This record gives sequence, structure tokens and C-alpha cells, in this order.
Amino acid sequence: MPSEVTATAVDDNPEAYEQRHVHAVYDHIASHFSSTRYKPWPLVSEFLLSIPAGWVGLDSGTGNGKYLGLPTDHPGKFWTIGLDRSQGLLNLARTAGGSDKIREVVRGDVLDNGWRRGAFDFAISIATIHHLATVERRVAGVKRLLESVSPRHGRILIYVWAIEQDEHSKRIIPVSTRERICVDAEEQCPSGQDVFVPWVLSSDNARPKVPRGEQAQNVPPDAIRRYYHMFSGEELRVLVQSAAKELGLKVGPPSSNEADANSSEGVEIVVSGWERSNYYIELRRWQI
Amino acid sequence: MVRLITHNLLACHAKGCTTNNFPLKLTDVKLALREADFNPDFLRGFLPRVEWDALIQASREIGDTSLPVERPEMLDDDLLRQLHHVLLEIHIDEGSMTCPNCGHVYPISNGIPNMLLAEHEIW
Repeated sequence: MPSEVTATAVDDNPEAYEQRHVHAVYDHIASHFSSTRYKPWPLVSEFLLSIPAGWVGLDSGTGNGKYLGLPTDHPGKFWTIGLDRSQGLLNLARTAGGSDKIREVVRGDVLDNGWRRGAFDFAISIATIHHLATVERRVAGVKRLLESVSPRHGRILIYVWAIEQDEHSKRIIPVSTRERICVDAEEQCPSGQDVFVPWVLSSDNARPKVPRGEQAQNVPPDAIRRYYHMFSGEELRVLVQSAAKELGLKVGPPSSNEADANSSEGVEIVVSGWERSNYYIELRRWQI
Repeated sequence: MVRLITHNLLACHAKGCTTNNFPLKLTDVKLALREADFNPDFLRGFLPRVEWDALIQASREIGDTSLPVERPEMLDDDLLRQLHHVLLEIHIDEGSMTCPNCGHVYPISNGIPNMLLAEHEIW
């Protein structure tokens, strides 16, 4: 069932705002959310297929932990540890939705640094950074990922929701929001768009309490409004560049020509793009 | 479930606590043993990544003394099995993890370590 996205503005306490419109929402919708999120995204699976045996990774904002059990054909080839703030989702992630396989999960905030520095070989952040309510917090989110992986070989994959939605998207962007997007688009929309995306508990899996015709009007009463920052074209790349700069990392491929000390550590953008209504970016850290 | 593979990665992140902030000391643990898929390729690849001293300390804190104190150069079959068991088959369902530097206590409940800090404890 299509759900309507509405524009919103973050108030001056982004932490409390996220608590209300992200953490509380996920705890509330955990089991229903999980039942709709069982299929790994192809590009994420592909990234994980390229991970060598013996590596350890972080899934920052693991949700129901659907990536923790990969690769399914080589169980235990590498280990992915799931981090999330929602106790409800972690309880599901831990057992991978009730199977006898136990996953490794940790409760924490994606802006915290509760790991040995550079302890991981890789990190994935899938549909998580877009729940952080200010640009400073999103930069901090990327910094935490860059710090969590090995400075010599650490690999990172980030996915965020895009303003540019494909035709198969179940979400309807209202015209008023579209207009705002178009206005911004003239300036390449550097700041993206803050929106609420309703979560309708009574649709799909659960029995509708009222006929569909009545429910379809605007936002149903039992919909829960989740905060998202919809990313615009270059915004994810800019975010990575800001985070790298704050950490003193050069952005680009390793270059042995530059002998100055400042270029001895960096992060390379391996690939970036748009897929199925999301922007993604793959990074690799290097040290000379 | 938290196993020693994860414990080996955790560090205290309370405000101002940046040195000697790991390994977190395990106490009051309730353990469960569960078989896991044995994957020698993982263990061989992971060996140079593990903080060995931290693993030895933690394994002794939860009552397992099967691993050698010195990091082995090579993993023979017996050692592979022991490492597999210690890293991946001992689950800490309940317990406490205490920072050796600042004394902050992170609880483990229902197999999930809680690394969240109260607001005044954050950076």
C-alpha cells in the first residue's frame, strides 16, 4: 500500500527528535518492520561476497540483522557484528527472526565509539545515516564508520534514501514536497529534504481495522511517523568528504607521488551511485 | 549473544576515557554453550586480527583456560578447535563488563551487551 511522505523540519534538539521519530518508532514497529525486511539488497550482498575469509565487520544500524548471516553458502567465512539502538530490533536480529542461529549483536548508538579504534576490517551502514537529524550528526555518523575500520585496508559501504525515487517505489512523494525538491534541485539540492514516512501497522500483514477506502485518506490514525533525511544527488559524496577532512584523511586513490606527510592516510571512493531509490557509496581506507 | 569474538572488539567510550579502556573486565557471567559452524579459514584469517592478550584475559575471566598464553604462530587442528570453541561457542547470556580505566560498567542482558551511555557520560 502506498504511503505518503510529508515534509518536516527538525527542531533544535536533534537528539530528542531522533528519540521520538526514529528510536521510539522502531521499538514500536519492530516485529512488523522485521517481517517486511527479510530480503538482502543485491548490491549489499555483492559487497559482502567480496569479503575475504577471516575478516570481521560492523553492521552499523543492523535493524533486524538480515545481513549478519551472510554469506549463507559459507557460514562463518567472516563475522559481522550488528549494532543498533532499538532493543526490539536487536532481539529479532539476535535470533535472525527466530531461527536457531545466534547472531552477534550489540546495543549502542551509531554515533558512539564503543570499539577498539580500527578494530573492523569492513563496515556497512545500510539505511541508517538518513535517520540522523542534522548534517553535523550525519558527518559524525560517517566519521564513526571511517574510524571503526582498519586504516590500512578497511572497506565501507553506505546506503541512504534518495530524493529521486524510482517508479516502483511504494512511497508517494506529495506534490508540495516535490516542488520544494525541484526548487532545491536548481542548486543541486545540497541539503536534501527532511521528511516523515508513515509506518502503517494495520496494512499488508496485519488485518485492516477499517476498509481500505477510508484508510487511504491522508495519514491513517495508527500510522507512525518516521524521520528520514532524503539525500540529494551529490550529498552523500560531500558528506564523506567532510567526514574525511575532519579526520585528516585525503579523499582519493592512494598516490605514492605525493610525499608530504598529510597524504599518508586516506580514503578512496571505490564506487558510488543510485540504485532503487537509494544512493550508495563504497569506500576503502589506505595508508602509505 | 555476546561471545568473546565480539568482546575482543569492544572498548569503553565514556567521556574522557581514551587510554587503557579495553579489554572490558567480565564478571558475574552466566554462560551457555552452543555449537557453531566450524570454519578453519575464518580462524586462520582472524588470528592476526585478534588482540590475543585480551582474549586470554577474558577467557580466563569466564573460566576457560584452554588457550595458550602466548599467541600461537601456527594453528594446528587441536588449537583451531580450541580457538573456535572459545571465540564462537561460549555465549555470555548475562554479566557485566567493567572498564579497566574508568570503572564504567556495561551490562550484558539476554545475550546483548548494552554500550549505551547516559547523556552526561557521552563525549
